[in-house]
Amino acid sequence: MKLEIEIQGQLRTIEVDPAADPGRYSVSLDGNAIEVEARLLRPGVLSLVVAGRAYRAVREDDAPAGNGSEVVVLVAGGRYPYRVEDSRSLKSRRAHASGHDGPKTIKASMPGRVVRVLAERGVEVEAHQGVVVIEAMKMQNELKSPKAGTVIEMRVAPGDTVSAGDVLAVIE
Amino acid sequence: MTKFKKILIANRGEIALRIERACRELGIGTIAVYSEVDRPALHVLEGDEAFLLGPAPATESYLRGDLILDIARRAGADAIHPGYGFLSENADFAEACEGVGIKFIGPSASSMRALGSKTRARQAADAAGMPRTPGSTQALASLAEAYSVADEIRYPVMLKAAAGGGGKGMRAVSRREDLRAAFEAAQSEALRAFGSDEVYLEKLIERPRHIEIQVLADEHGSCVYLGERECSVQRRHQKVIEEAPSPVVGPDLRRRMGGAAVRLVQSQGYTNAGTVEFLVDDEENFYFLEVNTRLQVEHPVTELVTGLDLVHLQIRIAQGEPLPISQQDIELRGHAIECRLYAEDPDNGFFPSPGKITRLLQPGGPGIREDCGIYEGWVVPMDYDPMLSKLIAYAPTREMAIARMLRAIDEYLIGGIRTNLGFFRRILSDEGFRSGRIDTGYLDRLLAERSTEESIATETNDETVAVIAAALFEALRVAPASAVQSPASAWKSAGRREGLRG
Repeated sequence: MKLEIEIQGQLRTIEVDPAADPGRYSVSLDGNAIEVEARLLRPGVLSLVVAGRAYRAVREDDAPAGNGSEVVVLVAGGRYPYRVEDSRSLKSRRAHASGHDGPKTIKASMPGRVVRVLAERGVEVEAHQGVVVIEAMKMQNELKSPKAGTVIEMRVAPGDTVSAGDVLAVIE
Repeated sequence: MTKFKKILIANRGEIALRIERACRELGIGTIAVYSEVDRPALHVLEGDEAFLLGPAPATESYLRGDLILDIARRAGADAIHPGYGFLSENADFAEACEGVGIKFIGPSASSMRALGSKTRARQAADAAGMPRTPGSTQALASLAEAYSVADEIRYPVMLKAAAGGGGKGMRAVSRREDLRAAFEAAQSEALRAFGSDEVYLEKLIERPRHIEIQVLADEHGSCVYLGERECSVQRRHQKVIEEAPSPVVGPDLRRRMGGAAVRLVQSQGYTNAGTVEFLVDDEENFYFLEVNTRLQVEHPVTELVTGLDLVHLQIRIAQGEPLPISQQDIELRGHAIECRLYAEDPDNGFFPSPGKITRLLQPGGPGIREDCGIYEGWVVPMDYDPMLSKLIAYAPTREMAIARMLRAIDEYLIGGIRTNLGFFRRILSDEGFRSGRIDTGYLDRLLAERSTEESIATETNDETVAVIAAALFEALRVAPASAVQSPASAWKSAGRREGLRG
């Protein structure tokens, strides 16, 4: 099985095939062959032996990693968010990313509850001006506009619960 | 002397569970209370009885003393243990319990009032002949008074809220021209946080250590101190790592601080567990800071080095039993360190990170204790303090306790939410911490340094393993059964091979 994995800002090509012995895999990472022995202990928890060294790896959730959405793997105290790419969507995403200076979104950096909307729809804001305040665990976080412009969309109101990554407002 | 049959625990999270465990060990029934979001919380699952208080906000649930007392009465509780935070230092609540004949496990309302207010506690310290930081012992009446006190004790000074805690209503002022703004800011912050704008002024001690003495007093006039806890590793006046004993406190200093702490609490007729906090300068001068009239978050480090169970003793004292130990019986053995695991993101300004714990692998083995109220699949609510767990390591020496803690952190895997676990690895590996050169400003200085941990974390080798793990997870998602075999079926196929050979 051949995969393209974007991890730590790099695109890695990896091929994984079960070897003759159960639990053993032939892995080719960016063209280098590596022998790996692996056991899925329970869903999301993997024991790996790579070149004689034992590791435990955890995949943070059960959601599929396709279509460019991000999942996280934890290994040896490190936290590695990754995406699985199919080559077509990668190209289109790259084309999109390199593009123009269009509308920008303000996303929730943490899960929480909206306590204040500082700039309603239609209001002009400076770059770095506070737009929405969210609160979690007794701590408030003011989310600022990424650029100067007008709030063209305000998707939340005080009292709303938001998840990390939710789009709260759009600035153009 | 009364023997409690049932105790209501007016708290949530790890401390509620810790108290439930103590009750169970003593053969006492437990009553849990919970808010609407806490129905699946571990303290509810582990209680013998459980009662709903109300909606998630603490003001509508865990701070509703009236509801809690009503439940205690209806359920037939003999006593209420308040844990820490919430109602634990609320003298009115303690008094209300006394009023209806339910024992409040803690000091009396009157000694709580005398020692709970920082200004009144400073007056009590003077009366008990205890050293304290120079400054006022009463609320500042005006800005003019603030100027005159500050001029007298000389800058830098510290403004503090009389009702304060957790760094709120606190301002350091190093120049006269900054006093007005700081005074007004401290007052309004204190009013918002504690409902009282009383602030006072004290001399700022440079690079102090925060060291506290645990005391236990029974209702028959006996009082002992259980050594000290070193709590200098703080971020924004919140403790992050605590240890016992302190690497800088020797037997003589311990005896002097312990004696002073006992004198102070005895002067106010204090009973049950309490903590007297001090600042200690680099010449071993100690200054009284405040009294916490409750069980502390960091009590386990004292339990490990003294071999005593503080919650058992709290309950026994509240039952009217005399202290089963005297000062000569108390001996400190070994070294204990506690790390407070928070749901927060060190890479993103330590912002809170509530949410679902999708994976959880917890450490164990010799010398490791974990007091927590979490489990895999539980959603950490956004409504309360972000503390998830207290990881505690115990070993014969400080050096070995640090090594043991690092080992436990390596064993710990938590997915779905961000935590400060990796941050502990950095502190515990830092030469300053390892050699015991810590004061209350230590952590801010460490955070200001560029982290070398980041470059270590992205080392090629671990990253390679991460890519392989990611690929295997994806491959196994597509074809789990054929791609990997469980250990059981591997045994089966090995057995089959053996069979064929024979």
